[in-house]
Amino acid sequence: MVKIFINEMPVEIEEGTTVLKAAEKAGISIPHLCYHDAFPPEGSCRMCLVEIEGLPKLELACSTRVREGMKVFTKSEKVVEARKGVLEFLLAEHPLDCPICDKAGDCKLQDYYDEYGLFESQFSEHKEKRAKKVKIGKNLIHDQERCILCRRCVRFLREVIKTQELGVFERGIHSSVNIYDLTPVNNNYSGNLAQICPVGAITDLDFRFKTRAWFLEKGESICPLCSRGCSIIIEYHPGHYRFGVPRKVYRIHASKNQEVNGFWICDLGRYGYSYLNENRLDRIIVNREEWRLEPVWDIILKFLAQKLKRLEYRGKTSRIALILNSWLSNEELFLLHKIFKTDLNAEKVFFADPPQEEGDNFLLTPERSPNNRGAREMGFDIKPVHSKALAEETDLIVAFGSFLAEADLKGALGKIETKVLFTSHVSGLNSLFDIVLPTPLIAEKGGSLTNVDGRVQKFSAVLDPPGDSLPEWRMLAELGREAGINVSFYREFTSPEEIFEGIGKEISFFRVEK
Amino acid sequence: MIKAIEYFLEIIRGVVITGRHFFVNMFFHTLKVLGIKTKRKGAVTIQYPEEKKKIAARHRSLHRLVPGENGKPRCVACMLCATVCPSECIYIEAAEDPDLEMQKYPAKFIIDIGRCCFCGFCVEACPEDAIRMDTAEVELAEYNRDDLVYDLDRLLR
Repeated sequence: MVKIFINEMPVEIEEGTTVLKAAEKAGISIPHLCYHDAFPPEGSCRMCLVEIEGLPKLELACSTRVREGMKVFTKSEKVVEARKGVLEFLLAEHPLDCPICDKAGDCKLQDYYDEYGLFESQFSEHKEKRAKKVKIGKNLIHDQERCILCRRCVRFLREVIKTQELGVFERGIHSSVNIYDLTPVNNNYSGNLAQICPVGAITDLDFRFKTRAWFLEKGESICPLCSRGCSIIIEYHPGHYRFGVPRKVYRIHASKNQEVNGFWICDLGRYGYSYLNENRLDRIIVNREEWRLEPVWDIILKFLAQKLKRLEYRGKTSRIALILNSWLSNEELFLLHKIFKTDLNAEKVFFADPPQEEGDNFLLTPERSPNNRGAREMGFDIKPVHSKALAEETDLIVAFGSFLAEADLKGALGKIETKVLFTSHVSGLNSLFDIVLPTPLIAEKGGSLTNVDGRVQKFSAVLDPPGDSLPEWRMLAELGREAGINVSFYREFTSPEEIFEGIGKEISFFRVEK
Repeated sequence: MIKAIEYFLEIIRGVVITGRHFFVNMFFHTLKVLGIKTKRKGAVTIQYPEEKKKIAARHRSLHRLVPGENGKPRCVACMLCATVCPSECIYIEAAEDPDLEMQKYPAKFIIDIGRCCFCGFCVEACPEDAIRMDTAEVELAEYNRDDLVYDLDRLLR
């Protein structure tokens, strides 16, 4: 540990850290554009200049390492003046595009000009005209006018993905970022380029011109599209009800999580958000008119509890079939295990998951559902739906999710008396079941997931669930209580946290060390 | 009883005020007809809607989207007007323009005049001078709320 002084404030910091990181730790932000935590310092933007006592010139905070007794000034007159000068040079060739730039609103250059610049331009020359729309990848557009040559994109492809599609060509004023020999950036992590670009030079075709950054609300969640469990930021618009525009997710950004995904997410998770917007089921459907059930959860709950009670009374609980999936959270799987396996002894438990696909060796895993590991740790045996076993001697089927293959079920379902489906989407399955209950997705409820490495990650609701949908854990806890098999046990569960505590008491894997 | 008398007194006072205005104005109008110039003029009422008052140069009336040289709106769909609008009555959907100078154009531009408070912030916010409130149209009443929602076709002129 060394002791340094930043703006005369003493800071204790490990040896070898840079001044920028030390200042960040002390709560002082030093502006920087080219520096990114994931890469070694580059020092090309010159925004992070600071004054260090005893040195004649200003030094780069991003690459200067701390020394014992070092005195750093981040807001001295000299520094402020230098920052202004650097900004003036960066903006000398930067177009005044902000009104049509997708980055506007979370652009660092814009923020820094507002904070440290605010000068009148001294340049009377015209700005250089350059290519504004170079397609450099399947989803990426590069605007060479806006580029400030920080080389973050080049370094990302060189150091993280190691595919090296981008490089800086030409010299001096003509230098520009481009692809080699017309081979576009075509890897599964290309979307990260648009996110790490500090200005609007690389924009995402998927998000391009759709909306403005400041209209979007943000929330942190976990990506459910593979078993890695990357931290993501969901950016959505709550909707203009006056113009009949519903709530819509516009983009997904990677969130920082050193233990899982670092700073990155794959394109599958980044662009695969349409399931949040489209085809959502928002009301309870009862397809059997003769039952005279009102499509209200409280009534359905009583009906289902009655069914379970009757089956238990007659000792026919083995005639219950369950179809689960690994999109269910730990809490929900725990309740399902408790109600149907421990309390009711149901034997026919199947898992309907999206089929495995090829993973890559970085983040994407072959399993395309988020809680495979959790289901296994919970004590479930993951076996696919067997339609013959399902059809034989079954009175009640409770199915979850929309990954069931219709063809598998069609023949099997005919003979079953009561069929209940919990699903989040409108699909052909909905007409095959007697009762269809809408459920929220991972982004719309709270709970926890266990990723492929066995890391249990909690998440909370970012979006409001559509219509009548209730989280599965709530419906299951209420069902457990209402069925009256083990009332005192289910009574405690009124939030995912409480259920998680309950899991910890029973399964050592989920126990939180205190 | 006393209250009833007070009511009558108020009515009489009202009649006196109206009468005073009537006769004073009548007096000055008569003088004008007779050709006698006075410093004070009789009150004038415009016979709206047959007669209309001239609208001031810096008035704010119904919005319009200014067309550019090619007849398409100048608007680049930056959505600053929708951002600044205090009554949230502007809705824009942007689309990609093949013209590289423009890049972005409004595929949908909707103003709900029924909600608009005519503050003129949208005009001030516009970086392209594409929206103006200078149509001099101030009679915007409609029989139907939906008719108050103006789309691109009705706004572009």
